[in-house]
Amino acid sequence: MRPLLTLSIACLAGCSGATSPIDIPFEVRFGDATIGCTDDTSGFTLTDLRFYVYDIELEGDDGPVPLELVADPPWQSQDVALLDFEDGEGACTNGTPTMRSVVRGRAPAQGYEGLRFRIGVPEHLNHGDPLTAAAPLQDTSMHWHWTSGYRFLRAGIAREDDGFWIHLGSTRCEGTVTEPGGCRSSNRPLVELPDYVAGEDTVVLDLAKLFDGIDLDDGEPGSCSSGPPETSCEAPFAALGLDFATGEVRRPAAAFEARKAR
Amino acid sequence: MRPFAVAAAAVALAAAAGVAALLVAGREGYEWTLPAGVPPPPVPDDNPMSAAKVELGRRLFYDTRLSVNGSMACATCHRQELAFTDGRARSIGATGEVHPRGAMTLANAGYASRLTWANPLLDTLEVQALTPLFGDDPVEMGMAGREADIVELVRSDPWYRAAFEEAFPSDAKPWSTLNVVRAIAAFVRTIVSFDSPYDRYLRGDESALSPSAVRGMQLFFSERLECFHCHGGFNFTDSSTHANAIVTPFGFHNNGLYNIGSTGAYPPDNTGLHDITGERRDMGRFKAPTLRNVAVTAPYMHDGSMRTLDEVVEHYRRGGRLVEDGPYAGDGRRNPYKSAFVRGFELTAEEKMDLIAFLASLTDLSLLTNPRYADPCRATSNLAENCVSRHDQYVSRK
Repeated sequence: MRPLLTLSIACLAGCSGATSPIDIPFEVRFGDATIGCTDDTSGFTLTDLRFYVYDIELEGDDGPVPLELVADPPWQSQDVALLDFEDGEGACTNGTPTMRSVVRGRAPAQGYEGLRFRIGVPEHLNHGDPLTAAAPLQDTSMHWHWTSGYRFLRAGIAREDDGFWIHLGSTRCEGTVTEPGGCRSSNRPLVELPDYVAGEDTVVLDLAKLFDGIDLDDGEPGSCSSGPPETSCEAPFAALGLDFATGEVRRPAAAFEARKAR
Repeated sequence: MRPFAVAAAAVALAAAAGVAALLVAGREGYEWTLPAGVPPPPVPDDNPMSAAKVELGRRLFYDTRLSVNGSMACATCHRQELAFTDGRARSIGATGEVHPRGAMTLANAGYASRLTWANPLLDTLEVQALTPLFGDDPVEMGMAGREADIVELVRSDPWYRAAFEEAFPSDAKPWSTLNVVRAIAAFVRTIVSFDSPYDRYLRGDESALSPSAVRGMQLFFSERLECFHCHGGFNFTDSSTHANAIVTPFGFHNNGLYNIGSTGAYPPDNTGLHDITGERRDMGRFKAPTLRNVAVTAPYMHDGSMRTLDEVVEHYRRGGRLVEDGPYAGDGRRNPYKSAFVRGFELTAEEKMDLIAFLASLTDLSLLTNPRYADPCRATSNLAENCVSRHDQYVSRK
């Protein structure tokens, strides 16, 4: 590792070119089972699953190193990346055919063990007009028009007459669309996977954990729109490590884990 | 409804006598048709008005191809003959989802300082238009993620292709969703209503209002009934602004419709400002809608839970609604978050008739019938045949 280490120190001193591509693959599961818009192995199908990630850091030999996102429209800008596990088929009635399960970035070439990122759209980009915004924020199906921002995550599962969906985004926003005044509930989860090995492992979102605590057998499809009055949000917010009352991060999101390659 | 019929006849007479509205020149040479003394609505700097843009917006407003299955246009929930409402308690989207609230009138929507029933964030028509077009909770027109289809439509349809170039002359590629929204907003801004019998009465035509409506007007503006505190000003709502306004007031009020279990709660899918802020004190606070054309915009309240103006007046007379049984049972009069202006009042049967006669005098027949707001494809023009055949082709292709 010695030559690589030297390289990374040199980069701290100001070089910008000596980085290598790093892909971070993502996967969605429901417990041990796969799940998709038409895949009901778990007993459920997806109705939706899309989310933004940003502020990605890898744990290097000398501490955390930011992953520079590679502009890759329509999925990524240098600020934020969109992941999309729905293909518009089956129960994914509001979906689109295109999918994306990887975040593409660059970082100084070295080994990394440990990954950290936020779910959401950075505040300075969250209140733009989707009709003028650059990809991946041009997507009207991720925009949350009435809250003046974006949905950071939309996820849902269903079977027969039961199911649950969540739309996560900043709430209790102030000002107006024309003159935004920020949001009192940020609602941007933190994902922290200390044993994630870059280049080998996969980030898994386990929907069984995300929807743990939701009654999926009561014959009543439920939902959470991050709305402050909705008690239905308490369980998924807990799984995302968010304090439902304040929108602050209380702990890393338990619904995400690293699937080890070995 | 005798007083209303008399007032309507007065409108027709006044029109026949040639009482012409004055033209007010706005920015970019657009000429607003507004009575003297009425300022134009505010216009965003990045979406100046032009006749070409308004005409384009009108066509888009009536085009069902802007919905996911070709079944509805903006005009489906905003019908001109109903003052741009849809007559339903709660509107229904293209795929059949029922909206928690009813479609609001578009009359003078350009003057609304905040749009929709209870959203302090929504302050321009351009942004509001995104919700019906792209919203999916509930689905309204259902175009989320289908921006490319919209662009394809306006670029490939020969009429649109040329009309976008004319309406957005400085854009190299004017066929964008952004410009669709801008054109629709420009058209909606022109839907103004200042020609009711009440307006004519204010302009000096004493015959425009019946004696009953005049008595009703006095009741409306009285401290006994308090109606005008929330439904005041030139647009009969305290959430109004205009191009020359120095401040932009807006207000949200709990009027005692519900008080579930005596906790102050409203039905959970419809808590008003509280939906946005999460603050308990905002429970049940909704915008006071304009009362212009209110006689043709039934049913009433955000959830359409009152069928007639008689019911509405009775509700305010009582100072809140008593829901006797069912899941929403409770006495709205005792809602702890209720506006101080909704405290109830005495009202004789004759006074109630007078008040309703006054409310009916706010109906602007020119708004309901003016061909400039009508579907250009249904008007007798060269465009009409063209519109129908292209629409059929589009729907059969889907």
